[in-house]
Amino acid sequence: MDFFVQQLVNGVTLGSVYALIALGYSMVYGILKLLNFAHGEVYMIGAFIGYFVLTALGGAADPVLPVALVLVLMFLAGMLGAGILGVGIERFAYRPLRNAPRIAPLISAIGVSFFLQASALLLFTAQFRTYDTPELIPFTTGIDAGPLRISLVRILVISSAIFLMIALWYLVNRTRLGKAMRATSYDREAAAMMGIDVDRVIVATFFIGSVLAGAAGVMVGLVFGRVFHFMGFVAGLKGFTAAVIGGIGSIPGAMLGGMLIGLAEAFSAGYISSTFQNLIVFLLLITLMIVRPTGLLGSPVLQKV
Amino acid sequence: MPRIGTDEWVAEQELRTETYSGLTAPARRAFDRVGPGPRFFAFLAICAIFPFTTDSDFLIRVGVNVLLFALLALGLNIVVGWAGLLDLGYVAFYGFGAYAYAWVSSEQFGIHWPTELAIPAIVAASALLGVFLGLPSRRLVGDYLAITTLFFLQIFVELTLNLDRLTLPGADEPLNLTGGPNGIPGVDPMRIFTIDLLETRDYFYLLLVVFALAVVGLFYLNNSRTGRAWRASNDDPLAAELMTTPVARLKILAFSMGAAMAGLTGTIFAAVQVGVFPQNFEVILLVMVYAALILGGAGSIAGAVLGAIVVAAVPEILRTPENSRYLFYGVLLAVLLTIVRPWKRVAFLAGAVVLFGVVVHEIVAAVWPDGVAAEASAGRLGGVLESWVVLPAENRTTIGNVAFVVLVLAALALTQLRGDARLLFLVPTIYLAAFVWENRLIAQPSVTRQLLFGAILVAMMTTRPHGLLGTPRVENPI
Amino acid sequence: MTKPRWWFLLALVVTLAALAAVGCGGDDDDGEAGGGGDTGAATDTGGGGEAVECTASIGIMGPFTGDAATIGQEQLNWAKFSVERFNEENGTDFTLVEGDTQLDPAQASTVAPQFVSNDDIIAVVGPAGSQEIDAVGQIFDRASMAFVSPSATATDLAEKFETFFRVVPTDADQGPTDATYMTEELSAKKVLIVDDQSSYSTGLADQTATALEDAGVTVERESVSQDQTDFSALVSSVANDTDVVFLPWQIAANAQLFGNQLAEQGKEAIIFGSDGLFAPDDFHIAGSFVSSFAPDITGLDDPAIQELAQAYQQEYGDFGTFGPPTFEATRVLMTAIHSLCEEGEEPSREAVLERVAETDLQDSILGFPITFDDTGDVEGAKFFIFEVAEGGAFELVE
Repeated sequence: MDFFVQQLVNGVTLGSVYALIALGYSMVYGILKLLNFAHGEVYMIGAFIGYFVLTALGGAADPVLPVALVLVLMFLAGMLGAGILGVGIERFAYRPLRNAPRIAPLISAIGVSFFLQASALLLFTAQFRTYDTPELIPFTTGIDAGPLRISLVRILVISSAIFLMIALWYLVNRTRLGKAMRATSYDREAAAMMGIDVDRVIVATFFIGSVLAGAAGVMVGLVFGRVFHFMGFVAGLKGFTAAVIGGIGSIPGAMLGGMLIGLAEAFSAGYISSTFQNLIVFLLLITLMIVRPTGLLGSPVLQKV
Repeated sequence: MPRIGTDEWVAEQELRTETYSGLTAPARRAFDRVGPGPRFFAFLAICAIFPFTTDSDFLIRVGVNVLLFALLALGLNIVVGWAGLLDLGYVAFYGFGAYAYAWVSSEQFGIHWPTELAIPAIVAASALLGVFLGLPSRRLVGDYLAITTLFFLQIFVELTLNLDRLTLPGADEPLNLTGGPNGIPGVDPMRIFTIDLLETRDYFYLLLVVFALAVVGLFYLNNSRTGRAWRASNDDPLAAELMTTPVARLKILAFSMGAAMAGLTGTIFAAVQVGVFPQNFEVILLVMVYAALILGGAGSIAGAVLGAIVVAAVPEILRTPENSRYLFYGVLLAVLLTIVRPWKRVAFLAGAVVLFGVVVHEIVAAVWPDGVAAEASAGRLGGVLESWVVLPAENRTTIGNVAFVVLVLAALALTQLRGDARLLFLVPTIYLAAFVWENRLIAQPSVTRQLLFGAILVAMMTTRPHGLLGTPRVENPI
Repeated sequence: MTKPRWWFLLALVVTLAALAAVGCGGDDDDGEAGGGGDTGAATDTGGGGEAVECTASIGIMGPFTGDAATIGQEQLNWAKFSVERFNEENGTDFTLVEGDTQLDPAQASTVAPQFVSNDDIIAVVGPAGSQEIDAVGQIFDRASMAFVSPSATATDLAEKFETFFRVVPTDADQGPTDATYMTEELSAKKVLIVDDQSSYSTGLADQTATALEDAGVTVERESVSQDQTDFSALVSSVANDTDVVFLPWQIAANAQLFGNQLAEQGKEAIIFGSDGLFAPDDFHIAGSFVSSFAPDITGLDDPAIQELAQAYQQEYGDFGTFGPPTFEATRVLMTAIHSLCEEGEEPSREAVLERVAETDLQDSILGFPITFDDTGDVEGAKFFIFEVAEGGAFELVE
């Protein structure tokens, strides 16, 4: 029982991170039908920004401000920086390709991804950076009740992720901007004709998606410690997978897909074998896709005649 | 026999030729007059002579890489360009072909099949595997198909990494199928009809022959009923289905043919590299093949080849600092020529930049002598540049980093300006680019290589989204 | 159908011309990568006092970009550092030519012919990975080009290729040493070995597993991928009676995370790492053990080495275990070339190859003298065990 709960916690932590990244993919796809492969690099930059803020504030061992404030600043800086980067990428790499064949922005995104990775290597060198979280928040703090053993950092990460997802849900379903986003993703032309400023909505979508990715980056730095130039590649792939599994274009689907992948990884590594962890997860996902071809919560693709 | 869709283009030929103007007009008219056959033959002839123009094994190896990429791009073109299926698992067939060749022609299992038997068998096996992968395409469309095929690729990579310790129930020794992370080194060289292929040059010619056959075959395939059926099902699957085109079967056929081509290329690759390793088939290769295809223009055979040349050759040029320096300034000039017309303005601009540079250099030399103390990297242009670009001796890295960030922002801002403001802003930006290049980028050629390649991809796609030789399509903006 | 604009054709022409320039520049000797001019023609010491004119290029192959860039960049920086210092001390004019392989054998087998075609390059440092060496060994053998790897540890490489040398001992040395320590000093009865699916890791894991099993220890095997974000699932499944977890990993930062998560979940197993974990800045779990082939890389005792390490850190930053062997590998080559220059001989590839085989560096920073046996393996290397103390310092225990 202990073991099960432990893996559950592991899976949920990992899943929250994947979910946040997947949300960015899903939102952008919903509006532009574009797979933003540079999203992983945005997440990486968010993690680096968090690292630099932490170092600027004295580092994990000796922060000049109280820990809670340091964390808040790291998150804000990471999220804001990532958001601005995302908006910039949209402006210069995707906007000229608005009416191009679907596959062109894909290559542009790949180019941006290479460029950002190489820039990170150039500016930050190849060394691994670490947040040294145990110095900041010792991992002995946390809940230790019976089978449940979670450190404070994980609680923090999971709760912030849930908070962000709720905030997103609120934004999309209860605000005017959210309504505009939904309308644009449904039919861009009609939305434009109804007086919605489509460009602004797209910028807002990219900003929000990138903000979530930046938050995910800082979270990964806190819980898993390693920040380096290549981290965006794998995370981006997993986030993309999660978005599609959940039904691409669907926001609750992305959240669900992320959680599913995180849990699948945790449980297959824990119960079956860590060696074949990836293999098992992929087989599971293929089966899922065959059983449900449009993803878990995806809407069936309508064929317009 | 009138070829559908082509006759109109032919009829408009005269009109089009008349509108050619400028320096290149006679060349273009001549080019138009010959058909695709002679053009391709001329291209092949140039390729065939190429290994004799140099005795550098490296260049021939680059040629081999280009041809491998071209074959891969051609195969992918069938799936993505003609049938319109986003197949992200394509490289798995390449890997399968390579590993299969290693299985039947190396010490791994002690089997050494003759090449004439191995290659057709592996191609057939790859085609079969392609059918298997194509089966989900009945139910999955678009991006969902993409992600499923991506899973196949990931599964393939995982299998190659881990199938060296497979303990089957009842067996004593673990089964070693793929050599794990160490791969299968020491693959037999090919031997086709008593000709031993031992040198890189031999494989270059083998690839050239295969390439020629492939292009001819694909050309005829494109103009056949199947080709037209693919295009129809790509444009509008529902309409095609209603016109009795068997869309599902065509999709599987496309997958299968693409897989067969990739498998064939894989076998030759294994022989060239004299071994096969899991690191050869990672997602990055998939990205490069797609880049080659889309840069060149998906759907066009010549486009696939052109894209392959760019994607395989450009990173090799960018390896050495001196060459990439030439390429850098050359491309800078080419970009200037395109965004600033007429060319007299460019000359004026170049002069202004040089003057600006000299002025800045003098000012910095006077105010802060350390700022110009360092030496430029070696090379023929180095001496010239030393008196033009500011080369600080201290803190080169930090200054370079900051300048790099400023340069990126400036370049982006430039795309927003127009007219005279743009010209004016170009001058310091170009100088800044030279500064960043000489101080920071040239010291790290490997990183710069990736940087430039990414920038080239973005620039090429934003300026010409349908690829170099593709036809502009207007997608339905949903 | 639109025809390509003329400026694209121009760009294409530029590309092809540049490629041609590569070809021409690669064949003959002028201006390519060296300081221009002759390749190592040595003048007698008549004019310039001590310094003998000695110009040559040394190639270096490694993963300078991509996911293994942390390893490759450290190797590259140490190689640059080595060249700088040697040039300063001996008045030579050696340059380094980079060849990025991203640990991919296909790229390595493109870079190797490039180095061979470049007449300025007379010896090569690298490649880093054992599988790359499998791909390029024949190419270098045929060109009689000496290549010294600072990090490949597969046991059979030196026998396979004649021009291959390495400055690090093989898995066959490290595995049994680690196993012995685990059984004797740590009294381990049950060991979990986790490899990271690289050829270094699986080779070493196999050797250690065999040695442990021969000593009667229960061995469990697992593996993870180097790209993995999270190890907590694996950590959770570590049995409570596991005494030692052996991590023959290349990325020390991953091991730090693993160790943190072990502590977080209250597992008591001790971590034992191979030389890949010898990176005090990245891995510092108190109470762990790490084996390394050098008794003193961080210069704890020897002031000369300390000065060197500090000079490096000032210029390039922190380092782990991959850098110093690269420093020595480069030095081996430079010493060989320099000795040829001093005798007035032309440093050709064959001559350098012979000289390298006779290398005898007594004062290497790795703490043991570097000489090669008949096949090219470094002689007399043994492994030392370090314990990580509270606060992260590495202390030699054996």
